[in-house]
Amino acid sequence: MQQLADVTPGRVGAAGASVEVAGVSHVYEGRDGRVPALEDITLTVGAGRFTVIVGPSGCGKTSLLMMMAGLRRQTSGTILCAGRPILDPDPQRVGVVFQEASLFPWQTAMENVEFPLALRHVPAAERHRRSASMLNLVGLDGFGGRYPHELSGGMKQRVSIARGLVQDPPVLLMDEPFAALDEQTRMTMGHELLRIWSQTSKTVVFITHSLTEAVYLADEVLVMSARPGRIIDRIEVDLPRPRTYEMMATDRFGRLRERIWQQIRKPD
Amino acid sequence: MSRLAIVLARLALFLALIGAWEVLPRLGILNARLLPPLSDVLSMLLQLVGRANVQEAMMVTAAEVVVAFVIAVPLGALIGVAVAESEYFGEIFKPMLFYVFSVPKSIFLPVFILVLGIGFHQKVAYAVFSTLFIVIMSATAAVESVKPEHVLVARSYGATRRQILFRVYVPSMVPILLETLRIAMIFNFTAVMIAEMYASRTGIGHLIANWGENFQMRQLFAGVILLSMVAIFFNETIRWMETKCSSWRT
Repeated sequence: MQQLADVTPGRVGAAGASVEVAGVSHVYEGRDGRVPALEDITLTVGAGRFTVIVGPSGCGKTSLLMMMAGLRRQTSGTILCAGRPILDPDPQRVGVVFQEASLFPWQTAMENVEFPLALRHVPAAERHRRSASMLNLVGLDGFGGRYPHELSGGMKQRVSIARGLVQDPPVLLMDEPFAALDEQTRMTMGHELLRIWSQTSKTVVFITHSLTEAVYLADEVLVMSARPGRIIDRIEVDLPRPRTYEMMATDRFGRLRERIWQQIRKPD
Repeated sequence: MSRLAIVLARLALFLALIGAWEVLPRLGILNARLLPPLSDVLSMLLQLVGRANVQEAMMVTAAEVVVAFVIAVPLGALIGVAVAESEYFGEIFKPMLFYVFSVPKSIFLPVFILVLGIGFHQKVAYAVFSTLFIVIMSATAAVESVKPEHVLVARSYGATRRQILFRVYVPSMVPILLETLRIAMIFNFTAVMIAEMYASRTGIGHLIANWGENFQMRQLFAGVILLSMVAIFFNETIRWMETKCSSWRT
């Protein structure tokens, strides 16, 4: 992997805001009638907290994230972000980081990062200043002119994170952002994300399939059941920060991971 | 093989074909009455290009090709996008479009002649008919090449419908649309030629058909070279534009 540029230390941007999900249920019209997808989800993510949601495939965790992003409407219940309901996408309050293929291949890394600003007709000089500072934050100084196909998988996700943060929203939603990466890159990216998070103090809601990733990253892990998705456990991860790779070998880490695994494999 | 070796090999092939065209008829290995030597054909080409009736025929053909192209491409693209984007249109029109697409369009030529005669309008109408379906199919494919993830990204950053159209759909579709232009022109040009050769009073296709019937092989091949050059030029221009945005393709 190429040497990544040094990162300017210090706090960047506005701090996090809380996300409150109250009694959210979702039912969709399937072939055989109404299918309940989410059932009475209630959760609070405190300002600046790092919350990870895990659960079996098809449990509706991505749906829940899409609702928090205002991209999908729940059947009932409310979602508040910074105290106000989320009804439509609001990039000023919520930034979203998607899976790997989400960068526009016809734009350079810099143009991708600037995309949210370009939508709001932010002047070019201001766009460049902010995208350059975001690329610096994610460790991609000097890579702004590259097209996505010229970047590694990990670098592409750094660009996605920069794009998610460029409008300085208090909340960052991440939908399995590192799922397509190889194990080694994934670990590095998790570590990098924690660094970025500690520098920006954003509220992060992060979805993953990897239990190790969940424990390594989270303040709190929420475990969802198979469909209809419900929150069946909340696990406070009391490992000290900053997290280190060595912690993964500890008993404490193993016990937390084991507890989540027990919950996920539990038959309904 | 290195790049240079490939270029040299291609050049050698080209020169060998040209050389064979010149030498084989002169040596009597090929019948010079059927395939006149290349130099004879080229000198005839120069003569023909200077003739008033040939110039007029070229203008007529060019007008037919351009008018048909300008009608068929936007119309086909519009129908293609409607079919791909609207579930309603798609459900209703897709099967019929696919069926008609598979039918060779030339079998409808007599109908066009009976209805529209053998003039300019008939050539254009037939060429539009021949080109439309491939454009519809390609435009549908272009819309389907737009990645839902990209639309979702744009929506999550608050893009309006208009912004999604111009900032996600259009750039996603450009590579396939350029290819569509290229293929549409091949269909369009072919249709005009067939229509002119089948029944017409003017046009390059008409002249070529006449030269063939009258066994004027030098004129016939001169016409073939002329049309080939025009077609290759158009095709390569679009292909060059395609390579310009090849980095978009994923």
